[in-house]
Amino acid sequence: MSPPMHGGGAGGEQRRDFRSRESNFLLEAEAPLDAELRGNRRLRGGGGQWRPARDGQHWHRTWPPLGRGIGQPEGCGETMASDGARRQFWKRSSHRLPGSIQHVYGAQHPPFDPLVHGTLIKTVPKTPTTPVKPKRVSTFQEFESNTSDAWDVGEDDDELLAMAAESLNTEVVMETANQVIQNHSRRCQEQPRLPEGHVCGDSEQAEHFCDLPLGTGSDGRLVKSVSESHTSHPADILSDAAPLQRSQSLPYASTAPLAYGSDEKNALGPPALTEREAYRLEKFRQLLAGPNTDLEELRKLSWSGIPKQVRPITWKLLSGYLPANVDRREGTLRRKQKEYFAFIEQYYDSRNDEAHQDTYRQIHIDIPRMSPETLILQPKVTEIFERILFIWAIRHPASGYVQGINDLVTPFFVVFICEHIEEEVENVDVSCVPEEVLRNIEADSYWCLSKLLDGIQDNYTFAQPGIQMKVRMLEELVGRIDEQVHRHLDQHEVKYLQFAFRWMNNLLMREMPLRCTVRLWDTYQSEPEGFSHFHLYVCAAFLVRWRKEILEEKDFQELLIFLQNLPTAHWGNEEVSVLLAEAYRLKFAFADAPNHYKK
Amino acid sequence: MEAIWLYQFRLIVIGDSTVGKSCLIRRFTEGRFPQVSDPTVGVDFFSRLVEIEPGKRIKLQIWDTAGQERFRSITRAYYRNSVGGLLLFDITNRRSFQNVHEWLEETKVHVQPYQIVFVLVGHKCDLDTQRQVTRHEAEKVAAGYGMKYIETSARDAINVEKAFTDLTREIYELVKRGEITIQEGWEGVKSGFVPNVVHSSEEVVKSDRRCLC
Repeated sequence: MSPPMHGGGAGGEQRRDFRSRESNFLLEAEAPLDAELRGNRRLRGGGGQWRPARDGQHWHRTWPPLGRGIGQPEGCGETMASDGARRQFWKRSSHRLPGSIQHVYGAQHPPFDPLVHGTLIKTVPKTPTTPVKPKRVSTFQEFESNTSDAWDVGEDDDELLAMAAESLNTEVVMETANQVIQNHSRRCQEQPRLPEGHVCGDSEQAEHFCDLPLGTGSDGRLVKSVSESHTSHPADILSDAAPLQRSQSLPYASTAPLAYGSDEKNALGPPALTEREAYRLEKFRQLLAGPNTDLEELRKLSWSGIPKQVRPITWKLLSGYLPANVDRREGTLRRKQKEYFAFIEQYYDSRNDEAHQDTYRQIHIDIPRMSPETLILQPKVTEIFERILFIWAIRHPASGYVQGINDLVTPFFVVFICEHIEEEVENVDVSCVPEEVLRNIEADSYWCLSKLLDGIQDNYTFAQPGIQMKVRMLEELVGRIDEQVHRHLDQHEVKYLQFAFRWMNNLLMREMPLRCTVRLWDTYQSEPEGFSHFHLYVCAAFLVRWRKEILEEKDFQELLIFLQNLPTAHWGNEEVSVLLAEAYRLKFAFADAPNHYKK
Repeated sequence: MEAIWLYQFRLIVIGDSTVGKSCLIRRFTEGRFPQVSDPTVGVDFFSRLVEIEPGKRIKLQIWDTAGQERFRSITRAYYRNSVGGLLLFDITNRRSFQNVHEWLEETKVHVQPYQIVFVLVGHKCDLDTQRQVTRHEAEKVAAGYGMKYIETSARDAINVEKAFTDLTREIYELVKRGEITIQEGWEGVKSGFVPNVVHSSEEVVKSDRRCLC
């Protein structure tokens, strides 16, 4: 076990190699500008450093995008809003959303986007169509047989294409597509061309964007790979990611990066939206516009990821902090903000009192140790975190402040501040953000954190019974879903508590990059008891995800070190989506039949 | 897989929150000082091989524990299977020194029927100007508990190797003398995976000692 040592910056040669190895990945997963930026960032820590340095740069390394960029959804939106046909389609296919059987497909491959496929149908020679199968299932066997092929991208896509062909108003499709294409074309023109002969996914991808309307790509698949930009291709994940993970083992125990993904905010302005993203964003905007947001619909839509433009408001709604009624939102926010700052008036001065000084001292020394440092270490941010945590702790004396809770503030704060900044979150100078805006962010973060913690408070009360119970449940669950892994751990005397305690205490935040946590929370907030119950299934899926590596390790020490340093530094939406799909499958299989596999 | 070792010792590192437990262990196992160190939650695991005499290697398995009180229900489960321990305080934080006694009491209750060989470690000795605990008083306290005292700095790599290897030697001596024995169902000390080598070297050592007597 020799962890990679700190490597300096990588040279240009190395850079090209890296890129070409991952070019396929880039092509499929990123918008052009965004990709180029990340390509550069990837290299800063090119030598294999996975620990953040003081400069906070190393984190960027190989992370795929967290959120998609901003496009110009308004134009598309109007078209779609006025299009009855599409709305109808959406309604009819709502069984594909979470809470239904088909969602297993939808979670791995984001829900079918009629717009994209509609375009495809019109521009490429008609593909052989297969009849749409009836979607009702009644037994588990049927469920299994109906979903076992969900992992096969090709066949389902054909079916979906056929459905799209039948269901869509082609005029509207073309109109919308053209608008998106215009946007992309403008982008392509604006984007500085890369030097000739520079083989990289970005320029190719840019061309495909431009070519899209003409359908000049001889291979229809190509279009799909561009449009479904955060669709994972299982084959790619298996062939590309697996060897990477082996070689990228993290040198430190709690090393999983928390730093913010470089692509959450694109420094050079909004990257292009794919059609699918534009469509989804518009769906969100329609729902959020009110007058009463249908929270059930919002949950279904959010399950497979929330566009970052609407993530702040969506999180506030899903957490129950913001009312569904649009007219009441402004007032509620004002009232809650007032309430929070009244707490501060009332309690914060007591932080140096005998009764509370231990709590405050612990918070005070923990915050500077958090990531992303460049953000957290700014005095204003440090103070905000201290106030949020201290107020929460003394208002919840049964648990008080427990290390790990501090991590849970970060996603809220980062998501909420991203609404107000142009640059990446690591580079933001918080003192440039207006005071009033910061106050809102602080209050919102506090209330959303409170809502989250309400659901998992027994994780942090005396003896942490919530965690103890969940770890036992995880053990039982893994014993049923993967007996081989379970036995292997048992055989080598690895106890679940030894590695999974942190998974529960910090909600997997130490095991994955922050970008992944944000994506994970989109789903957690869409699931009933997402942070407690569903998290358990995610943990089970997460453990089994490493079965190959686990089974290869043949002794206690290697196993435990591996499990405490899982190689997820490069993880992004794709990996999280696969994980969530698997967790959903497990939940479906076990939630209503807890004894299903019991011997 | 890895070099042959005579024994495997399990060590535990305890002490108040932010006295520098994780940084000390990382300096020892990874050879550098981490710039960022998230608070440890629960328990983390580390390992390193040390050579106490030429050709005699001991495998150390080190449990890094969370300092915060709330995690005590998790961390105390690890005392029982540890043969040695580093009890850390921060020389710039008097309170962490005052808590040393509590830490020892805490371990005593949960380690039964076994014992842990402790060394008292005054950490962050690079921050001498901010010192709140003198070497003299720390040595006195350590002596009162029958422990050795050592001052270390993970940042400047002062005495880090020595703290671990001295403790390892001490335990090794106790094992050689038969005061600590390998026991079924106890993970504190395990014999290396080349049994005859271990036995022969042990016998050699033992006979040497007899000769000296």
